[in-house]
Amino acid sequence: MPKVFNWQINREMEYPYEAAPPKQQFAAVFDTNKCIACQTCSMICKNAWTSGRGQEYMLWNNVESKPYGGYPQQWDMQALSLLGPQTWEGNAYSGKTLIEAAMTGTDGRPVVGYTPDSMEWANPNLGEDEAAGLIETGTFFGMPHPVWSFYLQRVCNHCSYPACLASCPRKAIYKRQEDGIVLVDQERCRGYRECVRSCPFKKMMYNITTRVSEKCIACYPRVEQGLQPYCTVGCIGRIRVNGWIHAPQEADLENPVDFLVHGRKVALALYPQFGLMNNIYYVPPIHVPAGYLRQMFGPGVERAIEAYRRAKDDPEMLGVFMLMGATERWIEKFRVIGDDAIGYDAKGDEIARVPLKEPVHIRPNYDSSRLVFRHNTP
Amino acid sequence: MQRLALLKRLPLLVVVGLSLSLALQGKALAQQGPQLTSVAQSKLLTDPMDAAWQKVPAADVPLTPQAGVKPALMATSVSSVKVRSVNDGASIAFLLEWQDGSEDRYASRPESFRDAAAIQFPTTGELPAICMGVRGQMVNIWHWKADWQTDIDKGFQDVPDAYPNFYKDAYPAVNVLTGTPPFRMPKDFESPEAKQFMVGWTVGNALSEPVRTSPIEDLNAIGFSTATHKAKQNVNGKGVWKDGVWRVVYTRALKVDDVDAAALTAGQEVPVAFAVWNGSNQEVGARKQTSTFLNVTVQAAGGAAALQLSPALLGGLILLLIVAGIIAFRMVEGRSRQTS
Ligand code: SF4
Ligand code: SF4
Repeated sequence: MPKVFNWQINREMEYPYEAAPPKQQFAAVFDTNKCIACQTCSMICKNAWTSGRGQEYMLWNNVESKPYGGYPQQWDMQALSLLGPQTWEGNAYSGKTLIEAAMTGTDGRPVVGYTPDSMEWANPNLGEDEAAGLIETGTFFGMPHPVWSFYLQRVCNHCSYPACLASCPRKAIYKRQEDGIVLVDQERCRGYRECVRSCPFKKMMYNITTRVSEKCIACYPRVEQGLQPYCTVGCIGRIRVNGWIHAPQEADLENPVDFLVHGRKVALALYPQFGLMNNIYYVPPIHVPAGYLRQMFGPGVERAIEAYRRAKDDPEMLGVFMLMGATERWIEKFRVIGDDAIGYDAKGDEIARVPLKEPVHIRPNYDSSRLVFRHNTP
Repeated sequence: MQRLALLKRLPLLVVVGLSLSLALQGKALAQQGPQLTSVAQSKLLTDPMDAAWQKVPAADVPLTPQAGVKPALMATSVSSVKVRSVNDGASIAFLLEWQDGSEDRYASRPESFRDAAAIQFPTTGELPAICMGVRGQMVNIWHWKADWQTDIDKGFQDVPDAYPNFYKDAYPAVNVLTGTPPFRMPKDFESPEAKQFMVGWTVGNALSEPVRTSPIEDLNAIGFSTATHKAKQNVNGKGVWKDGVWRVVYTRALKVDDVDAAALTAGQEVPVAFAVWNGSNQEVGARKQTSTFLNVTVQAAGGAAALQLSPALLGGLILLLIVAGIIAFRMVEGRSRQTS
């Protein structure tokens, strides 16, 4: 099997195909700390792409309440336990990836995985209230860890080494050369669902009416026009920004995604130990126990949280966070000039300008011109 | 000097001889194992439950798991398939019969995989070097699918069939003004605005076609991952599951005006192979059990076809003998020179 280099786990790994990096790679950063779980992203995606017959159960974008919520139910715990022990030595992953683990498996599959059933898909966020508890009486069931929860926003990762693509005997899944977006050829697919089984993130879904598999398409018709995907532009919490990701040695620090991932190292890939070099990056939640986060985001997580805590004193980092949700255009480059963060398109034209600090207006409680009391809303 | 030249040539001769015999091995294998005859009779049998099938001699064809490429099947869940065939001079029918305790007739839930069975023929008259064919040696596959059979028997299996308590009051361009919730495929979804959300159907993927005319897909292939829905669909049939046994009949006209179809001529021997998928074992695509190629003798009406040694095989065998003879002669000669 060919060897490819995965810089997220700092080592070579096995992959059934030679590395064939695209011209540029679609990526995004999601700031988990700012998400309010309003599910606007899930709904905008559903309306745009999956409101057809056979897609009823599909959420190409979903937001789940961790630690218990998951769509499909417990996808993460199931994938992790199938993979077995996962060990890191410093910044290098010393355990097995999903493909490496399958090489010693006896079931003839190319990737370690499982096929969720209808009931698992039917519960998009079972357990979402499980960490809340009642203030007076404490939690309604005891857990060995303190009460906490956070929201995890999930779309297809448009992986650099996709497990779905690796497992498709039909060769119906392809990674676009122009932007690294991973798609299923709807003419070629024969509904074998090896991809559904292999994608550990469970972002490959079977259309029960057309009997072929479908997935998040990264809103490619928008990306082709220099626009960010719907889930990004629809985000109420302004937690998302898209961009092109490069390998660390080729990072362009004027590009918002490279800047956050490589420059400030404040955003990390989800479960890098799966070995897919996934391209959705997360600013980890700052209030969650380190052990859980290390398993989820790898050894760089404490450093990322530290960096994030410094954002208020870091104008450039603040600048990128302020530019999230400030434009529907694809921000190729950004700069901070004075008190403003400015986003530019591919031609270098300004497409967004936001203040690093939003102005505070203090107005009297009673508006005498309209004869109404003002409420404490921004 | 002469001896040296001969010694240099020896490995080449061995390679030529070996590859020739390997190339012919496929042919030879096809001559072994169960022999199958498509019995000529006046009545074609199209119903898998027709008692008349019992009078037709059966071949028990052993199946082995496809473990060569991943995703692989490591152990068979169906170890053999019983095959019978008849023809009436105009059409041919095959009956495949195999044990399968679970009747998996649906593919309309994310976790449901259907049973299936296929018959494969070379289209070039030549046995392909690899089981699903290679470039230049295309095969013709007749793939029966239990979910397609259900679509034909009970109507297209859609969301309300898979989930009886399902209800949805509207879809894009589909609402109470255009139909009655929870709506039916395909009639309520035929407008381009509604259909565009069913991409497989819109782009013409045969798997997504809600109006089935046959439970059997007629395919061509030139190797793994190349199965292609033929422009011309020539095969029909029917599958019935009863008491732990699937019985599936495949029928096709003997003469079809189609270069991509298997040539089935009365009075001739035709290589044929079989495959079975067990849905409840998630057998789909490459995860299947297959047979090797064997021959079916298509009896011509009015008399049994004589078993013939094909000219290609005869020629091959003679060539092999000649090469083996040369090698043996040269080796003996070489050794005697060495000793002298
Ligand atoms: S997240 Fe899953 S579906 Fe998306 S590219 Fe990676 S392996 Fe494929
Ligand atoms: S729209 Fe934004 S804030 Fe709302 S759930 Fe989605 S990611 Fe979170």
